[in-house]
Formats: sequence, C-alpha cells, structure tokens
Amino acid sequence: MTVTTSAPAGTRTGPAAGLPLSAAQSGMWYAQALDPSSPALNTAECAEIDGPLDPELFARALRLVVEEADALRTRFVETPEGPRQLVLDEIELPFQVLDLRDADDPAAAAGRWMREDLAEPFDPTGTRPLFRQALLRTGDERWLWYQRIHHLVMDGYGYTLLGRRTAEAYTAFARGEELPARTFGPLAELVGADVEYRSGEAFEADREYWRRLLADRPEAPHLAGRSAQPSRSFLRRTTHLSPEATARLRETAAALKATWPEVLIAAQALYTARATNRQDVVLGVPLMGRMGSAALRVPGMVMNVLPLRVSVEPRQTFAGLVRQVVLALRAARRHQRYRYEDIRRDLGLLGERRSLVGPLVNTMPFDYAVSFAGSPARLRSLSAGPVEDLTVNIYDRADGHGLEIDHDANPALYSGEELALHQRRFLALLDRLVAGDPALPLAAHPVALPEELSLVLREFNDTGHEVPPTTLIGPIEAQAARTPDAPALVFDGTTLTYAELNARANRLARHLAERGAGPGKVVGVALPRSLELVISLLAVVKSGAAYLPLDPDHPARRLTDMLQDTAPVCAVTDHGRRLPSGVDTPLVVLDGLDLSAYPACDPARALTPSHPAYVIHTSGSTGRPKGVVVSHGAIDNRLRWMQHAYPLAPGDKVLQKTPASFDVSVWEFFWALRVGATLVVAEPGGHRDPAYLAWLINEEAITTCHFVPSMLQLFLAEPSTASVAGTLRQVFCSGEALSRDTARAFARRLPGVRLHNLYGPTEAAVDVSFHEVLPEHDGPVPIGAPVWNTRLYVLDAALQPCPPGVPGELYLAGAQLADGYLGRPELTSARFVADPFGPPGGRMYRTGDLARWRADGQVEYLGRTDHQVKLRGQRIELGEIEAALAAQDGVDGACALVREDRPGDQRLVGYVTGAADPVALREAVALTLPEHMVPSAVVVLGEFPLSPNGKLDRRALPAPVHRAGGGRRPTVAREEAMARLFAEVLGLGEVGADDAFFDLGGSSLLAIRLVARIREEFGAELTLGSLFAAPTPAALAARLDSARPSSSDALDVVLPLRPEGDRPPLFVLHPAGGIAWCYAGLPARLGPDRPVYGIQAPGLLEGGPLPRSLEALAAAYVEQVRAVRPHGPYRLMGWSVGGALAQTMAVLLQEAGEEVDLLALLDAFPAEQWRERPAPEEGDALTAVLRMAGLERTEEATKEDVVATLARLGSPLGGLSDVTLNRIVDIVPHNARLMREHVHRRYEGDLLFFTASAPRAEDWLSWESWRPHIGGEIHNLDLDCTHPLITQGRHLDAVAAVVSARLKELDA
Amino acid sequence: MALTLHRIHADVADCLGEETADIPVDENLVDHGLDSVRIMTLLEGWRRDHGVTADFADLAEKPAVEAWAELLGATS
Repeated sequence: MTVTTSAPAGTRTGPAAGLPLSAAQSGMWYAQALDPSSPALNTAECAEIDGPLDPELFARALRLVVEEADALRTRFVETPEGPRQLVLDEIELPFQVLDLRDADDPAAAAGRWMREDLAEPFDPTGTRPLFRQALLRTGDERWLWYQRIHHLVMDGYGYTLLGRRTAEAYTAFARGEELPARTFGPLAELVGADVEYRSGEAFEADREYWRRLLADRPEAPHLAGRSAQPSRSFLRRTTHLSPEATARLRETAAALKATWPEVLIAAQALYTARATNRQDVVLGVPLMGRMGSAALRVPGMVMNVLPLRVSVEPRQTFAGLVRQVVLALRAARRHQRYRYEDIRRDLGLLGERRSLVGPLVNTMPFDYAVSFAGSPARLRSLSAGPVEDLTVNIYDRADGHGLEIDHDANPALYSGEELALHQRRFLALLDRLVAGDPALPLAAHPVALPEELSLVLREFNDTGHEVPPTTLIGPIEAQAARTPDAPALVFDGTTLTYAELNARANRLARHLAERGAGPGKVVGVALPRSLELVISLLAVVKSGAAYLPLDPDHPARRLTDMLQDTAPVCAVTDHGRRLPSGVDTPLVVLDGLDLSAYPACDPARALTPSHPAYVIHTSGSTGRPKGVVVSHGAIDNRLRWMQHAYPLAPGDKVLQKTPASFDVSVWEFFWALRVGATLVVAEPGGHRDPAYLAWLINEEAITTCHFVPSMLQLFLAEPSTASVAGTLRQVFCSGEALSRDTARAFARRLPGVRLHNLYGPTEAAVDVSFHEVLPEHDGPVPIGAPVWNTRLYVLDAALQPCPPGVPGELYLAGAQLADGYLGRPELTSARFVADPFGPPGGRMYRTGDLARWRADGQVEYLGRTDHQVKLRGQRIELGEIEAALAAQDGVDGACALVREDRPGDQRLVGYVTGAADPVALREAVALTLPEHMVPSAVVVLGEFPLSPNGKLDRRALPAPVHRAGGGRRPTVAREEAMARLFAEVLGLGEVGADDAFFDLGGSSLLAIRLVARIREEFGAELTLGSLFAAPTPAALAARLDSARPSSSDALDVVLPLRPEGDRPPLFVLHPAGGIAWCYAGLPARLGPDRPVYGIQAPGLLEGGPLPRSLEALAAAYVEQVRAVRPHGPYRLMGWSVGGALAQTMAVLLQEAGEEVDLLALLDAFPAEQWRERPAPEEGDALTAVLRMAGLERTEEATKEDVVATLARLGSPLGGLSDVTLNRIVDIVPHNARLMREHVHRRYEGDLLFFTASAPRAEDWLSWESWRPHIGGEIHNLDLDCTHPLITQGRHLDAVAAVVSARLKELDA
Repeated sequence: MALTLHRIHADVADCLGEETADIPVDENLVDHGLDSVRIMTLLEGWRRDHGVTADFADLAEKPAVEAWAELLGATS
C-alpha cells in the first residue's frame, strides 16, 4: 500500500519583508547557493517504531506538527538586502507511506530507499518544502519513520522537539484524548534573539574572548594530515562502546566530577594529539546553543560549534586532562552564542582549506525514546550535515547496548579502511582509559593497536643479519692482497693499482704512527680532492686512528674550533697554508715529504671494531659545530649491507665527488676499494659543475655515483647528461628529501639507470634506510626500510610507537649508531637515549626528523621537528647562523630561515634588527661560517614581526629581493652611481651594469622609490615608465645622458614588460586603473625566456572616447594581442576588471578559431556578481591612483588633491600628465559601469584562479561563480592577502609559481 | 520527600565539583559550568527521588537555583 497525503499548498505568506537569516543560517545559505545540486546540507533521522501504527493518524500528527513548527513552513527568497526567510501560513506536507514487507530484505530495501532520498538536494529558493517525511513498513509491527530536513531550518535538538511533539499528538489522536497545547515558540523569536545578541555588548566581549584564546592557535589537527572541502556525502561507521566500558566511563566521569561527554572529549583530544603529533590541539564541539533561552522550545537551526583548545602533554594524567576539558568547556560555554563562522572570519580563516579545528566530537545525551500510543520508537540520526574532516557522534540511548558511536568522515580525506582504523584505535584507547587508573600519566597509553605495535616494532624492523667483526680498513687490505694489479684509484689521468695505493698509504700510515697516530687517536686531513686525499684517509685509518676531515674551503675560525675541540695528534696537509696559523696541531706536510724509507706492507695496529673510524662535524645549534664519532663496527655494517644490496664487482667505477667533510663521502671513499672496484676522484670544485660531471662519467665509464637531490635536479637539466645513461648503472640520493618530480625527471632522462633513495644522519654511519625509486611509483618518495641490524622507530611525544600513517619523530637504533659527540657528554646523552624497545642497555638516536610508517613498512620523511634545515644536502642549524649574526656589532636581534619564494629555489636569509649594514654583515659572518651557511641575503628590519602573543612570526618575515648574479661591472661613473642606487633600493650587495631592475626582484613600489632616489641624486626627472623601457643601470644612465626622458613611456596599450624570449608570451590585463605596471615584478618570477606583455587602457596618453562596452574593449585588445602574436596558443592573465576582460578575450579568440591554453585570473569575478551593486565613483578612482603609488587615500577629496599629494611625496606618478590622471579617474568608474552591463559567454578550457582570501566586505564573491562561464575545470588557490596585495611580494611569488609551473607543462 | 532549595543548591554544586558557597543561587548556572548533560543528570535524580515532573526544557530555560526551586515547588 502506498498512500501519499498532502495538504493544499499554501499561498499566503507572513510579513511581506520576511525575517532575516540568523547568523547560523547565513553560512549554510551561501554554501547551498554555491553548489545548488549538492545534497550535503541535508540532515535526516530515522525512528524505528515497534508495534501497531495507523498511517492516517500519523499523517494527521505530522500535519499538526508542521502547522506548529514555523521552521518547517519556511521558504527563502533573495532580495536586494540579501536572503530572507518567509514563514508561510500553510504548506504542502510531503509524506509518503511505503510498504516494503514483500521485499526480499525489507530492512535493506528501506535502507536503500533512504540513502537514495538523502542524495536528493533541496532548493531553498524553490516553492517545495525543505523537508520530507515517510513511513516505511518493514514488518507487520515494524515501521521506520524517516525525516529529511534541510540544515538551514533544523538542527539535531530541533529533531528531538519534532519527534516528541509528533509522538505526543499521535498518542492523543489514537487514544481520543485531548492534545496538550502547542509548545513550540515562534521562529521570529529565534531570529530576534540572534539580532539582539549580535548588536549587544556580549557579542563584542565574546568576540574578544575567542580572538584572544585562538590568537596563537596551533594549526588545525587533521588526522588525515591535510584538509579538504566537505564532500557531498560522507562515510559513516557505527559501533558501540561495550556496556561494561560504558558503565566504567560513567564511573570515571562521576569520580572526576565530569560528565561522560567530557571524558569522551578528553579521550578524543588525547587520540588527536598523538595521531597528529601535536601537544596543543583544537577540537570542535557542537553545542545545541539553547541553554537559558526560549530557543529551547523552538525547532530550528541554532546549534553552534565551539573550538575547544586542549593541551595534551605526556606527563599529564588522564584525570588532569579531563579536568582541563571540563574547565575549557565551562569557559567556552560562557561565550557559546558567538558563532563558529564568525570566529573563523575574525581569524582570517575564510575560504578554502583554512580550518580552525580538527575532529568534531558531537555528544547527544538527549533522551531519544518516545512512544506512539504505546509503540516504542528509537530515534537515530542518519545525517547531521556536511562533514569537513571527521565527526564523532556519540549517542546515549540508555538501551543497554552501551554508547553508540558513529564516526562520520569526509571521503575526500579518508578511505573506509582508514576510518575503521581510527575508530578501532579510538575505542581501544577509550577502553583502556576508563579501565585504567586516571592518575596514570598519559604517556602510559599508546594509541596504536597491539597488532600495530608488533608490526612497527618487530616486523618492519626484522633486520638482524650476522656480520663478521671487521673494520673499515681490513677488507681493503685483504682486497689489495687479492688483486694487487687491478686499478684502484683514478684521478686526473693517473691510475694507481691496488698494490700501489696500498703501499703509499702504508708508508704514510707508518709515518703517522710515529707521530702518535693509533687506535683511539684522531688525525686531521686537510687536502683538496686528489690522489693524496684518498691515500691520506687510508693511511690514517691504517694507522688505527680516526680521521678528521678538515675542508680547506671552510673559514679559518671554524677550522680552528674543530681542531681545538678534537685535539688530533697531527693533521695531514699538502702545504702549510691550508690550515689557520696559530693552531698548535702538528702538521704532516706532504709536499716534499719523502716516505720511501718506510716499508710498504700493512702496518700492525691493535684496532677493534669498537674503535672510532672517523670524526665528522655537523652544524650545532649553539653556534659551535659538533664532532660525531663513528666506530669501525658501525661503518663496516653499513658498507657490508651496501655491497649486499647493490653489489659492486671488479670493473665497476664509483665516483668520488662529495667533500670529505660530508659523511656521504665515506662510502664513496671506501666501498669500491673493499670489493675490487675502482674509485674515480672528481677534480676539486667539480662536484658543483653538471657539465663536468657528465663529461667525467662518460670519460671514465662511471657506474655508480651519488647526488644530493637538488644537485641531481641541476644535473638532469644539463643538456649533456642524457648520454651518461649508457654507462651509469645506479645513482644514490640522500642528504635531503627527494621529490617525486625529480625522480620522474630522472626516469625520463636516464632510463634504465636505477635510482635509490637513502636516508641517515651523520650520527648513524651515513645511511640507515633505503628505497629503490621506480618509475611507476607515485606520491612522496619514501626514505624506505631499515638496513641490516638497524631499527627505525617512529615515536609520538609520549615515546609510544606510532601506528602506520601517524606522524612522529624518527628514532634510530642498532649497529650503526655513532658513539656520540666528541667531548660533549651532555649533548650525547640528550640525543642518544635508552632504547625501551630493543635489547637491554641499548641506545636509540633521536633524529629530530618527522616521519611516518607506510602500511608496507616503508618510512616517509615529513620534515623537521626543530629549526634545523637542510640546504643543498647540508645540514644547517639556524641557531648557529643566528648566533653568528647576533655576534656582530650593531645587531640587536637576529633570526635566520630558509625561504622558498620560488619553487625549487631555496635560499638562506638572515634577518636582523639594529643599525647594521646588511652587506657588511654578510661579509662579516662569511668569516666564521662555511659557505653553505652564509645567508644569501641579510635583511635589516625596524623590528621583528610578532604574533599576537608576542612570539616571532616567522611567516611574516618579508622575502628579500633577489641577489644579482655576477654581471658586467659598471664601467662609467654614471653607470656606477646608477648601479649603486639600484643596489640600495633593492637591498643588494652589488648590481651589475646590465642587470634588469625587475629581474632583481624590483616591484613597482620599489621602482617608485628608485625613480625618487634618481631624482635626488641626479636632479633628473624620470617617469616610472622610463624604467620599463630602460631597466638596467647602463640603459638608464644612457637615458639620463640623453637628458630627455619621454613622458610617453609605458602608457601605450601594449606594455612590453619583457619582450625577450622564444616561448609563447603571457599577456597580462590591467586592473581598474587601466595601467599594467602592477605586473612589473612578474617576469622575473616567471623565470627567463618568457615574454610578458601588459595590456593597458587606450587613451592614457591622448584621451579620446571611452569604450562602449567591455566586449568592444576586449575586441580592441584582441587586435593588439594579435599584432604581437598573430596566432595561438595564447596565454592570458588578468586581475580585477582585467580578469573579466581576459575571460572575454579568451572567448573572442576561441570564437576566431584560435587556441587559448591558459586563462589565469587574480581575484577577478564575473560581471553578474557586481550587477546589483552600486558602481564605484570618482572617489574610488582616486583611491586606485593612490594605491598605484603605494599610498592609502586619507583626505584627498578631488583629483587635484591627489596630484598634490603625489607631488608632495615626490612620487613619480605625480609626473603623470593631467591627461593621464584625468583619464585614469574617468576609466575606473566607467569600466565598473561597463562591467555591470557585460554578459559572459563560455570559455572552453580550464581556469586558474587566485583568491585574495582575507576577509572582505563583499563576502559573496567566490571563484565558484565562474562555473557557468568556464567549460573546463577551475583550480583555485587561496592567498592570504587582500585584493590590492595580490600582485605584491610573496603573494605574487605564489601566483608566479603556479602560473610558471602551468606554463612549463604547456611548453613541454 | 519534597525537594528543598537547599537540596537543589547542594546537588548543583556537587555536579559542578564546586562548594555550595561558590554557587550563587540567583546567577545563571551556565556561567558556572552547567550544561545540558548535567541538567539531565540532575533531572533524572530528582524525578527518581522527589517525583519531579518538569522536563529538560523547563530547567534549561531558566538555569538558576532560585528559579528552579520556584519551578519545582521546592520548599525553602
């Protein structure tokens, strides 16, 4: 039987103006409007009713409830004042009765039907009700009451009101009793209370509370490691906490004077903190938001989500954590009326992927049991609205089954398996927490499941392998005896056989032994790459001593420190000038040293595997490098494993190019010689020259070599390297993260050559993990699985093992650990700690690296836990650099960081406050720091940017302007003076005569400063445009000499920002003011060989009629563009009005049969978004002109005022002619009017969009509004800036990075 | 057994983990940490021990000790 009952549709409406939307509703309204066909905002519940039921009476009860509940009779309309809601007097009742008793599986059929219905979107602006009701009969006495309601009008608590009233009415009808009077309050009351609150004092106080609480908030803790927009549906897994555990939960809560939801929230905070490797987490707690208000009796949308900030520290007890949650919630509830959306807006977190909270914990303690004339019903939520990340819904049904727990997840972030794991782990943790003593520290509770613990501790680390007790050198001597005549060492055309090499090393070893070298002693080696370097290293080790590499290129002071700390018995060098004077280490100078008297046979020494083999220094955070002591046993294990994993044979040639001070060199120096292969040594400095390396690999038929990934990238880009694929067999990468892009480039460029990614700190004998990179792999390149006799642990803050997928700090244990830091027992015991998972007495090394296990036993590297960074493979402690900067005169404070303002271009930058000169500072620190640690730029700041809580805000440090690269030195005096001004304005040490201003990082604002400085220095009037026409010191000097700068510069329709280059040009469209100078900084950021042309408004020079329409203007621009480039492909970019123009040009070009393969829009929105809005007036034009000069408009009321201000401040814009200024002031409002009349057609292609995502008054603007006008996909990137700033600084860097990457793909 | 204002006050303070002296009888209990779960818990106890018939919304609407005493007809 199927009966459809519906009342006549209502026609009369309530007050004509309707009600405004409450703050709670507004966000949902826009979310639905942006994606009208999405069902994500559906909410639904289902009640299981056991017993007899009369559908007719049920319909009658529902009609009554719809009559009583305003929210169900609400319709939404768009008005010029924004959306309003109208409460209708009557509305149709969409109610359906389905009899599924004959279905094979009635319950399953009902589930299917409900799922399908739940996938149907509502249209809030349509005429149909925003809810749907159904009764599904799945048995003679079993009914399912299904309700679906749009979230705009109902929340979870509202459902309980509807459920109770429906049951009450049904029961009264069925029993013929009198129905209790209507209990619902009117919707207007809700809206009124909302309006009142938002205009009252409490609103401001609440805003301040949240702003303060969250000013220094941590990043949102996402269990998936990333965030995403909510999907249209969600994954759900339902489980129960056992009745026993539920009882214990209640007991625990009672004992701690907490409620069970608070205990659950504490457990979730603990789980989230551990699973995301954070100690400070922000969870979301949905609250019904009705306490103490009339809203308790109004079904509607009121609920709010409050951010709950919890600090989870391993030493804290669970009781303490629960108490913290109780108090935090108590404080939060006092400010619970302030809306989540407002908190996010206040914190600048609008837009995509700007989350504030991690998982939501939604506890629903309401009484869900109702009855329909004696037939009991249990209500159950089917959908609680969009799921952004993960929501844990917990119901207390008091039905003897224990708590019911739904984990709802965004399918864009979690697979079903991942969700299941999070749920199992959370339940297991909760079980342990309520069973255990709440006074135990949190550290006692692992989050991993027992089987996961066994996997990550034992199975993944099953690396036991017996190795003979040998040393680094023993196998080399044995090899020399086996193959005395085989080639051992090649350098610069000279080859030594094993016998020759062994003999020379033996003689030197004996000499060193006479000078005191022997087991347990240290001998320094200060030689450039050469035969002698290899011989000396062998000799030191043969003597039994450990070698200490002293890179002759390092600054004297650093070498002195190293020698003083290490106190070697002597140091081997080629001449006396390699090492700083004043050091009392005895030198063994090889030049002129006659060793022929010494016997050539292997020297005797009492060397054991536990003696140190080498001491290599790494950067130390306190400003002094630290020497890592590695034993023979450790490095011997490493080399034996390597030979087993990647066997070398006689005939193989290994390239030695890594400086001896970097531990990768250890396997390069010694591996080949232990196994009969040949070592080929690159010339000094050669390791930096890709072309030389390619030549050497081919020339010497190298089969095995190493690259730091950033060097590999450069190597692969070198044209001559493809040929090495013929000889090279295997390449090892280590030292820094190997990107998948580089790995792919490798596979393309060097097919057939194997690529291995190795990982390890100096503190663990070079490498401890390995991974073969295969072309078919995807995703991040792992650092792999542990080598022989080595264990990797990924541990959380409580030193508990992290399950696969969960990030933690990487610890290393096993045979390869270093002995420690020479002469630094405290530092050693801080980093080498007791290993609780291995054999008793064992140690583990704390790497400071963040990592996670993959499910297949491979480890992924995720970054650092501290400020240590790697730059081109070299480990750098920023603290060491900061100490060096701070030690200079005139520096008050210093900080250093590695910036990547352009992708792949990492630069070390120092920042100081004080009165220091940046160039002199750089030179000064170069005297104490090795080259790789000297900042490429030093920026002097007035003060450091601080976060609201007073900490240094590293993210807010400005990008330095780029360093000029050794161009031609200025020759004539005027060139030189001009170059000096360039350098001053750009903050650079030196600028070449032919270096272009904008290529050095000049922006249009810096250009204004430069022109002003030129006027001061030379008294010459230049316009800003001159700089576009003559961008180098030489050209500008020549122009000054000609003494006739033309005011007509750079105001033509086509502005060649950079005409040079072979690739298809990028055309960039002017914003509102009509001038495209704002793109001045773009060409340099796009890299060389990419022509860029600005398109500017016509008539800037001579006036003339204004364009009739945006279409006509776009058509005129198309003609100009075709004059530069007659045929496609065309690449277009536009900002603001220029965006609408660019899209229109793209359409016109496509209609003309041309290809347009790039359309990039900077915070530009389609015409219809503006249609209903007032057009800007002259005042806005004046604001635009002042912004071009980097000024904010204050009191300037007229055009004349603006000109006066520009002139007073010496802005070159003040030099613009009256015609031009008038024109700009006319263009701005005129274009805005044209914009409002324009109708977009469809561009068939993809759109690259950049949103200036800082809060703005026009909060309806969204990139999504391009959807109807774009045939392809839209890729949006949110930039943390306002509209005017999007073409400046790091924001322009980000734009250029994305556009540049896209252009490269198109060119490929 | 009839409910008294004194009993209400003591029960409220206990579920908040506070001393009665620290909970004013005329102030909004939400500001002192009262939430819906605690109200439900109190209500269940009073229904059981004192035959109270009020529902959740009645209590949640005016969360203060004196207001509840009046609502529940408690003796002082």
